Amino acid sequence: MSFDSALAPAARRGKRRQVPARPDSPRPRPALARAGLVLAGTGLGAVTALAVTDETASQLAAPGGAATFLGSLTGLIGTYLALMMVLLVSRIPAIERVLGQDGLLRWHRRLAPWPISLLAAHAVFITVGYAQAARSGTWHEVGVLLTRYPDVLTATIGLGIMCFIGVISLRAIRSRLRRETWWLVHLYMYLALAISFAHVLALGPSFVGHPLTRIVWSVAWAATAGLVLCYRFGLPVVRSLRYQLVVAEVRREGPEVTSVICSGRHLDKLAVAGGQFFCWRFLTPRLWWQAHPYSLSALPQPPYLRLTVKAVGDHSASLATLRPGTKVVIEGPYGAFTKHAQQGRRALLMAAGIGVTALRSLLEDLPRNSAPVVLLRASRPEDLVLAKEVAELVRYRHGRLHELVGSREEAPLDERSLPQLVPDLRQRDLYVCGPEGFVAGMVDLAKRLGVPDEAIHHEAYLL
Amino acid sequence: MKRAAWYLIAGTVAGFAGVLGLHGRAAPPVLVAGPKSTGGGASPAATPGAGGGARASGPVQPTGPARQVNGVVEQYGYGELSVTVTVRGSQITNVSVPLLRTAEPYSQQLAVQVLPMLKSEVLRAGSARIYAVTGATYTSQAYADSIQSALDKLHIK
Repeated sequence: MSFDSALAPAARRGKRRQVPARPDSPRPRPALARAGLVLAGTGLGAVTALAVTDETASQLAAPGGAATFLGSLTGLIGTYLALMMVLLVSRIPAIERVLGQDGLLRWHRRLAPWPISLLAAHAVFITVGYAQAARSGTWHEVGVLLTRYPDVLTATIGLGIMCFIGVISLRAIRSRLRRETWWLVHLYMYLALAISFAHVLALGPSFVGHPLTRIVWSVAWAATAGLVLCYRFGLPVVRSLRYQLVVAEVRREGPEVTSVICSGRHLDKLAVAGGQFFCWRFLTPRLWWQAHPYSLSALPQPPYLRLTVKAVGDHSASLATLRPGTKVVIEGPYGAFTKHAQQGRRALLMAAGIGVTALRSLLEDLPRNSAPVVLLRASRPEDLVLAKEVAELVRYRHGRLHELVGSREEAPLDERSLPQLVPDLRQRDLYVCGPEGFVAGMVDLAKRLGVPDEAIHHEAYLL
Repeated sequence: MKRAAWYLIAGTVAGFAGVLGLHGRAAPPVLVAGPKSTGGGASPAATPGAGGGARASGPVQPTGPARQVNGVVEQYGYGELSVTVTVRGSQITNVSVPLLRTAEPYSQQLAVQVLPMLKSEVLRAGSARIYAVTGATYTSQAYADSIQSALDKLHIK
């Protein structure tokens, strides 16, 4: 069994039309993401209005009225934003195809501080407001709230969990934690949200005595939970059972770079675009509990599927020790770094280091005579992995390949050198893939050189 | 996804306006917090002359002019309340709650539910010595204390 022999026809894809075509990956529909955005906004407006309409002038003027009003406003908006946080990572395929997993995670990360701080403020405002209304001390009111109001104790525990996760997510602390540890702990957010739910319905001014809002709120949360279960759990299980992937071969590609070739059933039915990735879970006693995102380094060649990984962490390093026959569970495909993103007719593909994997499979999706320009960046010659395969794919498409090897000083990519290498830069779609710093630098450079925003597509590997 | 902010803002405005519009057309809230609305009329049987309830519970007909007096405002941890007691002679004929203010609707709803029960307890006992309603101990205590303060002003027992 050899992946290379299977690879050869793939390099000449398009020449032999009689090869049964895999189903094309579904095209992203930006209108759906826009509709989702409008819907999210509608919900935000609705909960704000809900908090406002429940307030009368006399209630506001009563002792503690202002603090209580701010408390329910921050509580409602904070909870709503928490719902959005969950939806952003629920892997809804229609949205994911447009924004990509990394785009959704970026939004998730950007939004994260808001629900946590709003909900913390909610707790403070409510305590102060109730204490003023009852003309008791604030600390006394804390005890009253925890012991005498229904479901407040569990909600407070939930808030504690949220704040803890918020603190360990601060950059300074998070960078000291192992990625897996942080990730597992931050999943407790689901628990925190679940145990906070009851007190909203029992005590929320917009819900007590308002059956309609109770129903709408409950349905919204149940639907969100359903989406999470369906797309984060159900779909991966179904796909993994369908494709039955097992490790077929592990191959060294370069220093610290390993290819894992999996074999499975029905891979001719797998709709995946070049440049996409899966979250891989290898069922060994040490690795089964973590799933990591790795790009396909080639389009599927039934019955094979290949990923190529650089050893940068514990998980990626241990892939070199995988034994043939190891069962594999997949989640995906994910990512908007595909041919569908292309606006114009020509492309410039840039990758640094192990970013070449996504570039390599994306290249396969570009048609013949598309004359792509490919820039591969590496600090040492031996780090140019898969370069031979890339060269063959570029040649078949009548494109040009530039390999830039050396330090940034030796082989600079800047405002002078890039236009020299790619004179028609502004007429091309730019695809950049690699470590975060490289991607950010190249996106910035391209913008300065006049490449329009919508023609820049990127996927960064977060370490 | 350019102009993402505009889609978001448009949605927010629509949602806000939509709920405001719905709220404007909706019936008034279920909870009634206004003065005198909670005590009065909850159990008409206890009002003199309105039915047989009061007569059946006590053989003695109330005599003398009706007098009304307000109890003190009681802070009871969830909010505050005060009662107005009506007596004829030395018999309590009616209790109303002109002031009931709580921090949040949960306590308000709870109070609205138990106040009629407390009222009938008081009318039956003829004094402020009543059992607290389970689940509303503090409300019951405040209610009883406010009634007692009113009775004290009238020098009844």
